[in-house]
Amino acid sequence: MLLCDFHIHTTYSDGSVELRRTVDLFGQAGFDVIAITDHVVNGDSSFGKLAHRFRYSINERNFSTYIGAIREESMRARDKYGMLVIPGVEISKNYLSAEKSAHILLIDVKEFIPACWSYEKIFLAAKEQDALIVACHPHHSSEPLSRDTLYLWNNRDKYAKYIDAWEIANRDDVFNVISLKKFPYVANSDFHRTRHIYSWKTLLNCEKTVKSVKQCIRHNRGVAITLFRN
Amino acid sequence: MELSSIFFCIALVGLAACAAQVWAVHKTLSRKDNILPGDTAEDGVRFPPVSVLKPLKGLDDNLFDNLESICAQDYPAYEVIFALQDPNDPAHKVAQKVKEKYPGKDITILIARCTDGLNPKVNNLIPACRRAKYEQILISDSNVHVSRHYLKAIASQAADPRVGLVSNVIVGVGGRSLGAVLENLHLNSFVIGSVCFLNRTLKMPCVVGKSMLMKKSDLEAIGGLHEFKDVLAEDYLIGKKMREGGKKVVLSHHLVRNVNDHWDIRRFLNRHSRWGKLRWKIGGLSYLSELIANPVFVSLLPLLFLEISRTTIFFTAFVSAVKSASDMWIGKMLARANNSIAEQRDGLSTSAPRSVHPLWYVLTPLKDMVIGFMWFVPFVSTTVVWRGNRYIIGKESRLYPFPETGFWSWPHRLAHVIRTRFA
Repeated sequence: MLLCDFHIHTTYSDGSVELRRTVDLFGQAGFDVIAITDHVVNGDSSFGKLAHRFRYSINERNFSTYIGAIREESMRARDKYGMLVIPGVEISKNYLSAEKSAHILLIDVKEFIPACWSYEKIFLAAKEQDALIVACHPHHSSEPLSRDTLYLWNNRDKYAKYIDAWEIANRDDVFNVISLKKFPYVANSDFHRTRHIYSWKTLLNCEKTVKSVKQCIRHNRGVAITLFRN
Repeated sequence: MELSSIFFCIALVGLAACAAQVWAVHKTLSRKDNILPGDTAEDGVRFPPVSVLKPLKGLDDNLFDNLESICAQDYPAYEVIFALQDPNDPAHKVAQKVKEKYPGKDITILIARCTDGLNPKVNNLIPACRRAKYEQILISDSNVHVSRHYLKAIASQAADPRVGLVSNVIVGVGGRSLGAVLENLHLNSFVIGSVCFLNRTLKMPCVVGKSMLMKKSDLEAIGGLHEFKDVLAEDYLIGKKMREGGKKVVLSHHLVRNVNDHWDIRRFLNRHSRWGKLRWKIGGLSYLSELIANPVFVSLLPLLFLEISRTTIFFTAFVSAVKSASDMWIGKMLARANNSIAEQRDGLSTSAPRSVHPLWYVLTPLKDMVIGFMWFVPFVSTTVVWRGNRYIIGKESRLYPFPETGFWSWPHRLAHVIRTRFA
């Protein structure tokens, strides 16, 4: 089984660990597949404007640098640790109301997709790029400082058809509603700090290639979750 | 005022002890290797085959690189045995990856549950030692990172038949959290200073178990690993028994890096309370000398308990500055030695972990104060926690099972309830 984490932030957005160190941390711990998914924040809200002002967001200008850096690290990780590193982003639609907010992981993204687009437009653009679409932390979180992002769950009838998988577990939280609805699932750390490495993870029974990983998650067979602890 | 003078005198003695430690470290590190970087002689006497035993449990900082560094040795014939107790241990996957990366090397991953004793490291080593195919065995901890010529450097010292055990000088490297920085500062001052000082002046080798090379037959002659299965300080006692058995115990000046990157303060406190209890149980009254060897803490006592005056403040500041400078001096010597062995990487994909940055030495007084308070812990507690296991420690560091359910376990149970409630 491949030990995977598809939700990792670096100093390209609001993570506290730089990209190279992040890759090393996961490599040293024996991970097989990781996805680097820094935030792309919507610029049409006060939260989004602040994120852009303080450079906590990937934007159209630095997107290619960001992807290039991940590709470079990907080669190093493959040679050194035998680990697959996939580039991605976390589309972050942040509003004052948790009911309106949503975060979406786009894994294996190739072109920049702005977060201020409509949901349908984002999903279709991601599908065009053959990126994996994951709805992250879709339900109420137990973290006191984090804000809930409930929009996708509240509108699941409308959007579930676009979404390849839902986060059934994020860091220390488990969202049992995903299991009750029998939605395809993955579990991730939402890594921002070193200690977040010890959290829920996904185990995949497939080959260690981007294509097989995406296929395995989409078909959601041979997928398991594990609470990774030391 | 008279009492303050006594404290001042003790602190000055402590500073003199620190100067002696700097001298001892300098003398130890200034010895030259008796091997050459290009020395690839297939000399079976000088470089006999070695079985490297790596006990693994959990994810240590830099684990992949640490394991890789031992698999990429420039040495004629050696095997590496990664010993685990549990196939679900996260270190298992890392060991597998290292093994896959070096298909040409003689690497074995041994998963064997052994519950013979209470010391988990010895339990891990017993099956590995049985599996080892060579006469020379090297016990090397999972949190150490070594240079390419490490095996050559220590094996050449073990070639003398009078030598029973070779251990190494340990240097703390890395440090990306406060706990890790304090840990490295302590390893690179008090610990290394004491080891070198005891070895050079008192001819009393103090074996640190992170790297121990010995012959299987010599180990068997002192009772084998089973003899040490229920003690915490198996390393020190192996060295002691070797010496009592008429064998020489040698401290190699070849640096072995102990990588500490992401320690929290609690882990730092836990390790040093455990080591303090261990030294108290082994050393007895000589443990008292450790307080004298902590001049910063001694100089602080008049300030805390007698009077806050310009003299006491000046004296504490003076002692702290001198102690920080002496620790920094040792750190500089270690950094130089670390850099020189880092240059011997020769194509190895692991990067040598960084030495402690000189700026961190401003934390020396804080570290010494914390260690000073920790010094009293062994007098009020005999419980030690090691790798998730809890024991009672007795004379000569003998371990006894912690009474998890008995009447006397109430403080532990109370603490557990509080921790669970507030988690």
